[in-house]
Amino acid sequence: MIEWLFGELLAKYNYWVSIILILIGFYAMIAKDNLIKKVIGLSIFQTAIFLFYISLADIGPLPKKGTAPIVSEEMIHMGYVYVNPLPHVLILTAIVVAVATTAVALALVIRLYEEYGTIEESEIIEKERERGL
Amino acid sequence: MRGEKRIYERDVIIETISRLLIPFIQLFALYVIIHGAGGPGGGFQGGVIFASSFVLYLVVFGLAAAGKRFPEGANTALMSTGVYLYAGVGLLCILVTLGAAEYLNYGYIPLTHMFEENRALGMDLVEIGIGITVMAVITEIFFNLVWKKEEEGGKEE
Amino acid sequence: MIVPIDLALLTLIVIIALVAITVKDLLSAIMLLSAYSFLMAMVWVEMHSVDVGFTEAAVGAGATTAFLIAALARTVRWEKG
Repeated sequence: MIEWLFGELLAKYNYWVSIILILIGFYAMIAKDNLIKKVIGLSIFQTAIFLFYISLADIGPLPKKGTAPIVSEEMIHMGYVYVNPLPHVLILTAIVVAVATTAVALALVIRLYEEYGTIEESEIIEKERERGL
Repeated sequence: MRGEKRIYERDVIIETISRLLIPFIQLFALYVIIHGAGGPGGGFQGGVIFASSFVLYLVVFGLAAAGKRFPEGANTALMSTGVYLYAGVGLLCILVTLGAAEYLNYGYIPLTHMFEENRALGMDLVEIGIGITVMAVITEIFFNLVWKKEEEGGKEE
Repeated sequence: MIVPIDLALLTLIVIIALVAITVKDLLSAIMLLSAYSFLMAMVWVEMHSVDVGFTEAAVGAGATTAFLIAALARTVRWEKG
Protein backbone atom coordinates (compact mmCIF):
# COMPACT_ATOMS: atom_id res chain seq x y z
CA MET A 1 0.00 0.00 0.00
CA ILE A 2 2.73 2.43 1.05
CA GLU A 3 4.87 1.36 -1.88
CA TRP A 4 1.97 1.89 -4.26
CA LEU A 5 1.36 5.34 -2.75
CA PHE A 6 4.96 6.46 -3.25
CA GLY A 7 5.50 4.68 -6.54
CA GLU A 8 2.35 5.63 -8.39
CA LEU A 9 0.86 8.71 -6.76
CA LEU A 10 3.73 10.79 -5.41
CA ALA A 11 6.24 9.92 -8.14
CA LYS A 12 4.18 11.92 -10.60
CA TYR A 13 4.10 15.03 -8.40
CA ASN A 14 4.37 17.35 -11.42
CA TYR A 15 0.82 16.49 -12.40
CA TRP A 16 -0.45 17.08 -8.85
CA VAL A 17 1.18 20.51 -8.77
CA SER A 18 -0.33 21.23 -12.16
CA ILE A 19 -3.83 20.33 -10.89
CA ILE A 20 -3.31 22.49 -7.76
CA LEU A 21 -2.27 25.48 -9.90
CA ILE A 22 -5.26 24.97 -12.22
CA LEU A 23 -7.57 25.05 -9.17
CA ILE A 24 -5.87 28.22 -7.83
CA GLY A 25 -6.31 29.99 -11.16
CA PHE A 26 -9.88 28.77 -11.52
CA TYR A 27 -10.74 30.01 -8.01
CA ALA A 28 -9.28 33.44 -8.84
CA MET A 29 -11.26 33.61 -12.07
CA ILE A 30 -14.57 32.68 -10.41
CA ALA A 31 -14.48 34.10 -6.89
CA LYS A 32 -12.38 37.28 -7.12
CA ASP A 33 -14.28 40.51 -7.65
CA ASN A 34 -11.48 42.53 -9.24
CA LEU A 35 -11.09 42.25 -13.01
CA ILE A 36 -7.28 42.48 -12.99
CA LYS A 37 -7.23 39.65 -10.41
CA LYS A 38 -9.29 37.65 -12.86
CA VAL A 39 -6.68 38.28 -15.57
CA ILE A 40 -3.95 37.14 -13.16
CA GLY A 41 -5.97 33.98 -12.44
CA LEU A 42 -6.29 33.36 -16.18
CA SER A 43 -2.52 33.66 -16.52
CA ILE A 44 -1.93 31.16 -13.69
CA PHE A 45 -4.43 28.76 -15.28
CA GLN A 46 -2.64 28.93 -18.65
CA THR A 47 0.77 28.38 -17.09
CA ALA A 48 -0.52 25.34 -15.17
CA ILE A 49 -1.66 23.77 -18.44
CA PHE A 50 1.78 24.48 -19.93
CA LEU A 51 3.33 22.70 -16.93
CA PHE A 52 1.12 19.66 -17.60
CA TYR A 53 2.26 19.46 -21.23
CA ILE A 54 5.96 19.96 -20.50
CA SER A 55 5.76 17.24 -17.81
CA LEU A 56 4.31 14.90 -20.44
CA ALA A 57 7.35 15.56 -22.64
CA ASP A 58 9.91 15.00 -19.88
CA ILE A 59 11.84 11.75 -19.63
CA GLY A 60 12.35 11.41 -15.90
CA PRO A 61 15.20 11.75 -13.42
CA LEU A 62 18.81 12.04 -14.43
CA PRO A 63 20.09 8.41 -14.67
CA LYS A 64 18.11 8.00 -17.89
CA LYS A 65 20.42 10.54 -19.57
CA GLY A 66 17.67 12.68 -21.03
CA THR A 67 18.96 15.91 -22.60
CA ALA A 68 17.52 18.91 -24.38
CA PRO A 69 16.40 18.16 -27.95
CA ILE A 70 19.48 19.84 -29.46
CA VAL A 71 21.82 16.87 -30.02
CA SER A 72 24.53 15.80 -32.42
CA GLU A 73 25.19 12.39 -33.98
CA GLU A 74 27.98 11.56 -31.52
CA MET A 75 25.76 12.16 -28.51
CA ILE A 76 23.14 9.72 -29.84
CA HIS A 77 25.86 7.10 -30.45
CA MET A 78 27.06 7.62 -26.87
CA GLY A 79 23.64 6.55 -25.61
CA TYR A 80 22.01 9.87 -24.83
CA VAL A 81 18.28 10.19 -25.39
CA TYR A 82 16.47 13.49 -25.73
CA VAL A 83 13.07 14.63 -24.45
CA ASN A 84 10.08 14.68 -26.79
CA PRO A 85 10.14 18.04 -28.63
CA LEU A 86 6.54 17.94 -29.93
CA PRO A 87 4.81 19.29 -26.75
CA HIS A 88 7.45 22.04 -26.60
CA VAL A 89 6.38 23.31 -30.01
CA LEU A 90 2.69 23.14 -29.06
CA ILE A 91 3.37 25.13 -25.89
CA LEU A 92 5.46 27.67 -27.82
CA THR A 93 2.35 28.44 -29.87
CA ALA A 94 0.21 28.49 -26.72
CA ILE A 95 2.49 31.11 -25.08
CA VAL A 96 2.04 33.39 -28.10
CA VAL A 97 -1.74 32.97 -27.82
CA ALA A 98 -1.53 33.62 -24.05
CA VAL A 99 0.11 37.04 -24.47
CA ALA A 100 -2.48 37.95 -27.12
CA THR A 101 -5.41 36.97 -24.88
CA THR A 102 -3.89 38.92 -21.98
CA ALA A 103 -3.55 42.05 -24.15
CA VAL A 104 -7.18 41.78 -25.36
CA ALA A 105 -8.45 41.20 -21.80
CA LEU A 106 -6.54 44.25 -20.52
CA ALA A 107 -7.91 46.41 -23.35
CA LEU A 108 -11.44 45.33 -22.33
CA VAL A 109 -10.69 46.08 -18.65
CA ILE A 110 -9.51 49.61 -19.54
CA ARG A 111 -12.62 50.18 -21.67
CA LEU A 112 -14.87 49.00 -18.79
CA TYR A 113 -13.06 51.37 -16.41
CA GLU A 114 -13.65 54.27 -18.78
CA GLU A 115 -17.34 53.36 -19.04
CA TYR A 116 -18.18 52.61 -15.37
CA GLY A 117 -15.35 54.19 -13.34
CA THR A 118 -14.58 50.97 -11.45
CA ILE A 119 -12.99 47.58 -12.08
CA GLU A 120 -14.95 45.67 -9.41
CA GLU A 121 -17.39 43.28 -11.03
CA SER A 122 -20.19 43.67 -8.46
CA GLU A 123 -20.16 47.47 -8.76
CA ILE A 124 -20.31 47.21 -12.55
CA ILE A 125 -23.35 44.93 -12.28
CA GLU A 126 -24.99 47.38 -9.81
CA LYS A 127 -24.42 50.33 -12.15
CA GLU A 128 -25.82 48.37 -15.06
CA ARG A 129 -28.93 47.59 -12.97
CA GLU A 130 -29.33 51.29 -12.13
CA ARG A 131 -29.24 52.11 -15.83
CA GLY A 132 -32.01 49.58 -16.38
CA LEU A 133 -30.07 47.22 -18.58
CA MET B 1 -4.23 58.90 -10.10
CA ARG B 2 -6.59 59.47 -12.99
CA GLY B 3 -7.24 62.99 -14.24
CA GLU B 4 -4.20 64.64 -12.72
CA LYS B 5 -1.52 65.67 -15.20
CA ARG B 6 1.63 63.77 -14.39
CA ILE B 7 4.59 66.06 -14.89
CA TYR B 8 7.58 64.33 -16.39
CA GLU B 9 10.63 64.57 -14.14
CA ARG B 10 14.12 64.07 -15.56
CA ASP B 11 16.41 61.73 -13.66
CA VAL B 12 20.04 61.81 -14.79
CA ILE B 13 21.01 58.38 -13.47
CA ILE B 14 18.10 56.52 -15.02
CA GLU B 15 18.46 58.31 -18.36
CA THR B 16 22.20 57.63 -18.62
CA ILE B 17 21.89 53.99 -17.60
CA SER B 18 19.13 53.33 -20.10
CA ARG B 19 21.02 55.15 -22.87
CA LEU B 20 23.86 52.71 -22.20
CA LEU B 21 21.58 49.69 -21.84
CA ILE B 22 19.21 50.03 -24.81
CA PRO B 23 21.82 49.32 -27.57
CA PHE B 24 22.93 46.16 -25.80
CA ILE B 25 19.34 44.94 -25.41
CA GLN B 26 18.85 45.48 -29.14
CA LEU B 27 22.13 43.71 -29.96
CA PHE B 28 21.03 40.73 -27.85
CA ALA B 29 17.67 40.72 -29.67
CA LEU B 30 19.44 40.62 -33.06
CA TYR B 31 21.63 37.75 -31.80
CA VAL B 32 18.54 35.82 -30.71
CA ILE B 33 16.86 36.36 -34.10
CA ILE B 34 19.89 35.26 -36.14
CA HIS B 35 20.74 32.36 -33.82
CA GLY B 36 17.16 31.04 -33.80
CA ALA B 37 17.59 28.48 -36.59
CA GLY B 38 20.00 26.23 -34.70
CA GLY B 39 19.20 26.72 -31.03
CA PRO B 40 16.77 28.23 -28.57
CA GLY B 41 15.41 31.54 -29.68
CA GLY B 42 13.90 32.72 -32.91
CA GLY B 43 11.96 35.50 -34.55
CA PHE B 44 9.20 35.82 -31.96
CA GLN B 45 11.47 35.88 -28.91
CA GLY B 46 13.92 38.29 -30.54
CA GLY B 47 11.06 40.56 -31.57
CA VAL B 48 9.73 40.64 -28.02
CA ILE B 49 13.19 41.49 -26.63
CA PHE B 50 13.58 44.23 -29.25
CA ALA B 51 10.16 45.65 -28.29
CA SER B 52 11.11 45.56 -24.60
CA SER B 53 13.93 48.03 -25.33
CA PHE B 54 11.30 50.44 -26.71
CA VAL B 55 9.20 49.83 -23.59
CA LEU B 56 12.23 50.82 -21.50
CA TYR B 57 12.63 53.97 -23.61
CA LEU B 58 8.97 54.90 -23.05
CA VAL B 59 9.13 54.27 -19.30
CA VAL B 60 12.27 56.39 -18.89
CA PHE B 61 11.79 59.24 -21.36
CA GLY B 62 8.02 59.68 -21.26
CA LEU B 63 5.25 59.23 -23.78
CA ALA B 64 5.87 62.41 -25.80
CA ALA B 65 9.50 61.62 -26.62
CA ALA B 66 8.69 57.98 -27.36
CA GLY B 67 5.83 58.96 -29.66
CA LYS B 68 8.24 61.19 -31.58
CA ARG B 69 10.80 58.39 -31.92
CA PHE B 70 8.36 55.65 -32.92
CA PRO B 71 5.47 57.26 -34.83
CA GLU B 72 2.33 55.21 -35.40
CA GLY B 73 2.62 55.31 -39.20
CA ALA B 74 6.12 53.84 -39.17
CA ASN B 75 5.00 51.08 -36.80
CA THR B 76 2.07 50.19 -39.05
CA ALA B 77 4.37 50.10 -42.07
CA LEU B 78 6.80 47.80 -40.21
CA MET B 79 4.00 45.38 -39.27
CA SER B 80 3.08 44.80 -42.92
CA THR B 81 6.74 44.82 -44.03
CA GLY B 82 7.46 41.79 -41.85
CA VAL B 83 4.49 39.86 -43.18
CA TYR B 84 5.44 40.67 -46.80
CA LEU B 85 9.03 39.57 -46.12
CA TYR B 86 7.77 36.32 -44.57
CA ALA B 87 5.46 35.48 -47.46
CA GLY B 88 7.67 36.95 -50.17
CA VAL B 89 10.66 34.72 -49.39
CA GLY B 90 8.41 31.70 -49.83
CA LEU B 91 6.90 33.02 -53.04
CA LEU B 92 10.37 33.89 -54.36
CA CYS B 93 11.17 30.16 -54.61
CA ILE B 94 8.30 29.71 -57.06
CA LEU B 95 9.18 32.88 -58.97
CA VAL B 96 12.90 32.29 -59.57
CA THR B 97 12.46 28.67 -60.69
CA LEU B 98 9.27 29.40 -62.68
CA GLY B 99 7.18 26.99 -60.67
CA ALA B 100 9.63 24.09 -60.53
CA ALA B 101 10.21 24.33 -56.73
CA GLU B 102 7.60 24.16 -54.00
CA TYR B 103 6.40 27.08 -51.92
CA LEU B 104 8.72 27.71 -48.91
CA ASN B 105 11.51 25.50 -50.35
CA TYR B 106 14.26 28.02 -49.62
CA GLY B 107 17.11 26.09 -51.20
CA TYR B 108 16.24 27.28 -54.69
CA ILE B 109 16.67 31.00 -53.95
CA PRO B 110 19.90 31.98 -55.79
CA LEU B 111 21.63 33.82 -52.95
CA THR B 112 24.85 31.73 -52.99
CA HIS B 113 26.05 28.72 -54.97
CA MET B 114 25.39 26.17 -52.21
CA PHE B 115 21.91 24.67 -51.84
CA GLU B 116 22.20 24.25 -48.05
CA GLU B 117 23.52 27.76 -47.52
CA ASN B 118 20.61 29.10 -49.55
CA ARG B 119 18.25 27.20 -47.26
CA ALA B 120 19.92 28.59 -44.10
CA LEU B 121 19.83 32.14 -45.47
CA GLY B 122 16.16 31.76 -46.42
CA MET B 123 15.34 30.60 -42.89
CA ASP B 124 17.19 33.63 -41.50
CA LEU B 125 15.22 35.96 -43.80
CA VAL B 126 11.92 34.45 -42.59
CA GLU B 127 13.03 34.84 -38.95
CA ILE B 128 13.89 38.51 -39.62
CA GLY B 129 10.40 39.03 -41.09
CA ILE B 130 8.74 37.48 -38.03
CA GLY B 131 10.97 39.59 -35.76
CA ILE B 132 10.04 42.87 -37.49
CA THR B 133 6.31 42.12 -37.25
CA VAL B 134 6.39 41.02 -33.62
CA MET B 135 8.52 44.02 -32.62
CA ALA B 136 6.09 46.46 -34.23
CA VAL B 137 2.97 44.75 -32.86
CA ILE B 138 4.20 44.45 -29.23
CA THR B 139 5.42 48.08 -29.27
CA GLU B 140 2.10 49.27 -30.66
CA ILE B 141 0.05 47.26 -28.11
CA PHE B 142 2.07 48.73 -25.24
CA PHE B 143 1.86 52.28 -26.58
CA ASN B 144 -1.91 51.97 -27.07
CA LEU B 145 -2.38 50.56 -23.57
CA VAL B 146 -0.46 53.49 -22.05
CA TRP B 147 -1.73 56.26 -24.30
CA LYS B 148 -4.97 58.00 -23.31
CA LYS B 149 -6.89 60.14 -25.75
CA GLU B 150 -7.39 63.69 -24.44
CA GLU B 151 -10.73 64.26 -26.21
CA GLU B 152 -12.36 61.12 -24.84
CA GLY B 153 -11.10 61.84 -21.31
CA GLY B 154 -12.56 65.36 -21.50
CA LYS B 155 -15.91 64.06 -22.63
CA GLU B 156 -16.08 61.49 -19.87
CA GLU B 157 -15.42 63.80 -16.94
CA MET C 1 15.03 16.51 -14.34
CA ILE C 2 16.66 16.80 -10.90
CA VAL C 3 14.11 15.88 -8.25
CA PRO C 4 15.18 18.11 -5.26
CA ILE C 5 15.45 21.26 -7.41
CA ASP C 6 12.13 20.41 -9.06
CA LEU C 7 10.37 19.93 -5.70
CA ALA C 8 11.76 23.17 -4.26
CA LEU C 9 10.81 25.23 -7.31
CA LEU C 10 7.28 23.78 -7.50
CA THR C 11 6.66 24.39 -3.79
CA LEU C 12 7.78 28.01 -4.19
CA ILE C 13 5.56 28.37 -7.27
CA VAL C 14 2.43 27.19 -5.43
CA ILE C 15 3.14 29.55 -2.51
CA ILE C 16 3.69 32.51 -4.86
CA ALA C 17 0.51 31.74 -6.81
CA LEU C 18 -1.52 31.63 -3.59
CA VAL C 19 -0.07 34.96 -2.37
CA ALA C 20 -0.52 36.59 -5.80
CA ILE C 21 -4.28 36.01 -5.81
CA THR C 22 -4.67 36.94 -2.11
CA VAL C 23 -2.81 40.26 -1.81
CA LYS C 24 -4.88 43.46 -1.98
CA ASP C 25 -2.26 45.66 -3.67
CA LEU C 26 -2.58 44.93 -7.39
CA LEU C 27 0.96 46.15 -8.16
CA SER C 28 2.31 43.58 -5.70
CA ALA C 29 0.12 40.92 -7.33
CA ILE C 30 1.57 41.78 -10.75
CA MET C 31 5.16 41.66 -9.53
CA LEU C 32 4.45 38.30 -7.83
CA LEU C 33 3.07 37.04 -11.14
CA SER C 34 6.32 38.11 -12.79
CA ALA C 35 8.31 36.16 -10.18
CA TYR C 36 5.99 33.20 -10.77
CA SER C 37 6.76 33.34 -14.50
CA PHE C 38 10.51 33.44 -13.89
CA LEU C 39 10.33 30.43 -11.57
CA MET C 40 8.23 28.61 -14.16
CA ALA C 41 10.91 29.37 -16.77
CA MET C 42 13.47 27.82 -14.40
CA VAL C 43 11.32 24.70 -14.06
CA TRP C 44 11.15 24.34 -17.82
CA VAL C 45 14.85 24.79 -18.42
CA GLU C 46 15.46 22.21 -15.70
CA MET C 47 13.10 19.85 -17.56
CA HIS C 48 15.32 20.28 -20.69
CA SER C 49 12.74 22.36 -22.54
CA VAL C 50 15.06 25.30 -23.20
CA ASP C 51 13.04 26.89 -25.98
CA VAL C 52 9.87 27.17 -23.92
CA GLY C 53 11.84 28.43 -20.93
CA PHE C 54 13.48 31.15 -23.02
CA THR C 55 10.14 32.23 -24.48
CA GLU C 56 8.49 32.28 -21.05
CA ALA C 57 11.29 34.43 -19.59
CA ALA C 58 11.00 36.90 -22.48
CA VAL C 59 7.22 36.96 -22.95
CA GLY C 60 5.57 35.86 -19.70
CA ALA C 61 7.87 37.71 -17.33
CA GLY C 62 8.65 40.66 -19.62
CA ALA C 63 5.88 41.59 -22.02
CA THR C 64 2.89 40.41 -19.96
CA THR C 65 4.13 42.26 -16.86
CA ALA C 66 4.62 45.43 -18.91
CA PHE C 67 1.08 45.13 -20.29
CA LEU C 68 -0.42 44.58 -16.83
CA ILE C 69 1.41 47.57 -15.34
CA ALA C 70 0.31 49.71 -18.31
CA ALA C 71 -3.29 48.66 -17.66
CA LEU C 72 -2.86 49.40 -13.94
CA ALA C 73 -1.62 52.93 -14.75
CA ARG C 74 -4.95 53.60 -16.51
CA THR C 75 -7.14 52.11 -13.73
CA VAL C 76 -7.00 51.93 -9.91
CA ARG C 77 -4.22 50.32 -7.91
CA TRP C 78 -6.03 48.95 -4.86
CA GLU C 79 -8.53 46.13 -4.75
CA LYS C 80 -11.63 46.87 -2.70
CA GLY C 81 -13.04 44.68 0.04
